Amino acid sequence: MTDSEIVELYKNKAEAVACKIVEYKTIEEAIPYIIKVVEEKAPCELLDDEDVEKGPLSPNGVPTRIQPVLAAPHCDEAFYKKFSEACEAKGYKCISKGLRNYLAGIDVGIASAVLGIAETGSCMVDTSKEDIRLSTMICEVSILVLKKSTIKPTLISVAEDLRSHIGASSASYTTFISGPSRTADIERVGAIGVHGSLEMHIILLEG
Amino acid sequence: MEEAAKTLKEYQEHIDEALNDKFLRKTLDKFAVEYRVSRDNVFKEVPGADCVQKIADTKDWCSKHLEELYEQFKTEAEKRGVIVHRAKTAKEANEIVVKIANENAVKSVVKAKSMTAEETMLNVKLIQEKFEVVETDLGEWIIQLRDEGPSHMVMPAIHLSRYQVADDFTKVTGDAYNPEDIPQLVKVARVQLRKKFNHADLGISGANFCIAENGTFGIATNEGNGRMVTTIPKTHIAIAGLDKLVPKLEDALNVLTVLPRNATGQRLTANVTWINGAGECEIGKDGKKNLHIIFLDNGRTEIAKDPLFSQIFRCVRCGACANVCPVYRMVGGHKMGHIYIGAIGLILTYFFHGRDKAAILSQNCIGCEACKDICSGGIDLPELIREVRTRCHDEFGTPVKEVLAGKILKDRKRFHTFLKFVRFSQKPMADNEGFIRHLPDILFSRHKFKSLPALAPKAFREMWTDLKYTLESPTMRVALFSGCVQDFVYPEQLEAFIKVMKHHNVQVDFPEEQNCCGLPMFMMNQNDVAKEIAEDNLKAMSAANYDAIITLCASCASHLKHGYHTILGDAANAFIEKTTDFSSFMVDKLGVTSELLNKSGEKVTFHSPCHQCRGLGVVEQPHALIDMAAEYVPCAEEQVCCGFGGSYSSKFPEISSQILANKVRNIKETGASRLVTDCPGCIIQIRGGVHKAGLNVKVSHIAELLAENLKP
Repeated sequence: MTDSEIVELYKNKAEAVACKIVEYKTIEEAIPYIIKVVEEKAPCELLDDEDVEKGPLSPNGVPTRIQPVLAAPHCDEAFYKKFSEACEAKGYKCISKGLRNYLAGIDVGIASAVLGIAETGSCMVDTSKEDIRLSTMICEVSILVLKKSTIKPTLISVAEDLRSHIGASSASYTTFISGPSRTADIERVGAIGVHGSLEMHIILLEG
Repeated sequence: MEEAAKTLKEYQEHIDEALNDKFLRKTLDKFAVEYRVSRDNVFKEVPGADCVQKIADTKDWCSKHLEELYEQFKTEAEKRGVIVHRAKTAKEANEIVVKIANENAVKSVVKAKSMTAEETMLNVKLIQEKFEVVETDLGEWIIQLRDEGPSHMVMPAIHLSRYQVADDFTKVTGDAYNPEDIPQLVKVARVQLRKKFNHADLGISGANFCIAENGTFGIATNEGNGRMVTTIPKTHIAIAGLDKLVPKLEDALNVLTVLPRNATGQRLTANVTWINGAGECEIGKDGKKNLHIIFLDNGRTEIAKDPLFSQIFRCVRCGACANVCPVYRMVGGHKMGHIYIGAIGLILTYFFHGRDKAAILSQNCIGCEACKDICSGGIDLPELIREVRTRCHDEFGTPVKEVLAGKILKDRKRFHTFLKFVRFSQKPMADNEGFIRHLPDILFSRHKFKSLPALAPKAFREMWTDLKYTLESPTMRVALFSGCVQDFVYPEQLEAFIKVMKHHNVQVDFPEEQNCCGLPMFMMNQNDVAKEIAEDNLKAMSAANYDAIITLCASCASHLKHGYHTILGDAANAFIEKTTDFSSFMVDKLGVTSELLNKSGEKVTFHSPCHQCRGLGVVEQPHALIDMAAEYVPCAEEQVCCGFGGSYSSKFPEISSQILANKVRNIKETGASRLVTDCPGCIIQIRGGVHKAGLNVKVSHIAELLAENLKP
């Protein structure tokens, strides 16, 4: 497979697991897109107690956030500066740590993928840092940033990368993520959004 | 949880209950058809057969190097701050969990799905010890609310309807739900369980792979609960069977290539989590997770040493053996395993939960080999189930009826005399269409779903003297292995065969010392009798004198080719080499073309016998033959068992009849006026079903179709 075929295959398989894919040259250029995602989404449900101003009940009967919360822990400093400014301008709360204070739920979590797997439409994300892990779990919309050049063709072809990644520190927690959380446990009817993310967007970057 | 049946009668009553569950039947029927499609779609994208072979090879190696793998994993994991435990029994594993929980002042526990924790019945223990335990996988949560066990390894609540689920949720929350809105029902779990995750003191998960090279374990989940359970509470215990140990990451990735595809037709689960060492945890001591892994033995080290059963280490718990099982499709998981479900469940029940629970269950295998064909690890499941029955027989004794049958079958002359006696005594009951009119209630009260055939007035072996012929210069010389059913019930199928062979200049011989192939005795676990019969047949058929030994019975063919190798080893090789089923002989060996056949306009469909398509790997040849003599119409679920299964249909007539009803429905939908197949057992079943259903479809052997359409 050529590189562009691998990227096409990735897109195809990721879309098959309900990922929305957008392409940008740099992550900074994607900031307006991320803001738009927040504008268009329903208010975040508060699934646990939190001392925060609450909006009307959601269709599931739970209170909602008035001020959206976006998390982008352990990301590139230059990006975070621009991103938090954009959030501030909109009146959103942007956080980069302390996600345990938001276990009731956040609107959007942003994380970078180490690599992509074309065959399955997956992203490998280093979630060793607890805040990164939480940001991809308790968010309603998970946004993963993936560089095209890091996409590998098959599951088996990522073995070496996974190995060196695991071996790089004394303890690690790595996740392959393929789309939002899902279930078919009731009458085998597929439903998206169980305990984890309700939506997943992949920002594909050149290079 | 339901108690295991102690007698066959009691078990049949349990089965009747399931058969009468209309929702269950409809769901499993739909699932069986849809699963096939989605699974095949994603499976063809990967080198599936190679991956399966690799799983088999790796796991076979692992079962021989279990202790080394365990030591390596332990060393590597301990280096990274993980506390590694090993439990000899289920009880011990549960006690370790309780001990860790008490040491850490745990009150509440959240669990991600773990079949190993189901195996140890951990929840029962935790509740006894007054912990609050919440299952967080949606299916597991639902069955926990109902106090039931899983009915499928991957979809534990597949037996429940949306209405039952909505009711159960109402009981928990007091709110009413619209059962038609399944996505909304799913959100109930999201809303109800987030607090449980957030405030739990302990998370318990399973592990799909434990990788020795670096002490990593991997978990495949879909709902996101696996990551919550392993992240939010400060203590995490993973429970894994020793069989989950593999040497390298590549081995795990190879399993992952097959597992989700085979389980649910997914390319990969939404999350795969690789946990290596006690990592960051803000609320943990020194900011680290308190991480434990418990390896459960529960008989596994003994199984690993067993030359035959060590194969079960290849199981990756995908549940595919249940997905394709025609019996599971009828009765569901609660009747097909104690905790582990499906074909592998029948075997694991014996090892993990005792022979008293497995003795009756292990009889409920129809032997169609669909499970073996789909297994992620290529486990010979039907053979292992048969062997479990043998062991149960050795411990509990063989039923009298079966001992008697063995005595009769062993001696060919006595057996044939017995059949002639039956033929004489059935006379008053046989009608002129070849069916028995009134089945004596005392013997067949549960068996009226199909018309049973009468024995033919004259057996093939009695006709042979008149049928014999000698060709001047034949293309080939073959021996016919008739099998009992065609010899005594359907001799006309063999007559048709002779006609076709003669027409194609093939010299047929019928060695008269041949006996039953021995499959029924093999299936009844009378291995000594099956061996004697096999030896007699090897002698009688004198393979060296012929170009081929042909049988028109797929079950005989499969037993002669595979069963004889199991029984006699390489001594049977020359015989096995020569033995072939009718369709492959015609197409592959004789290279028959339409030259000597008339293609009629008759619409003919096909049933692919289990022992032909899976037993022998013969699929296309019969289609080609039909196409030469008629208009071939494909039948939906062609390769799904007809429900006969030899003695199975008399042991479990209700299940057999329901499987047959599906077959008849599929045949009806083809609009064909005739169905042919390559096995007289299937003909007994299907002809009987079609007759009872009043369907105007002729059922015959493929040889008869050809014999009727020979060019003059």
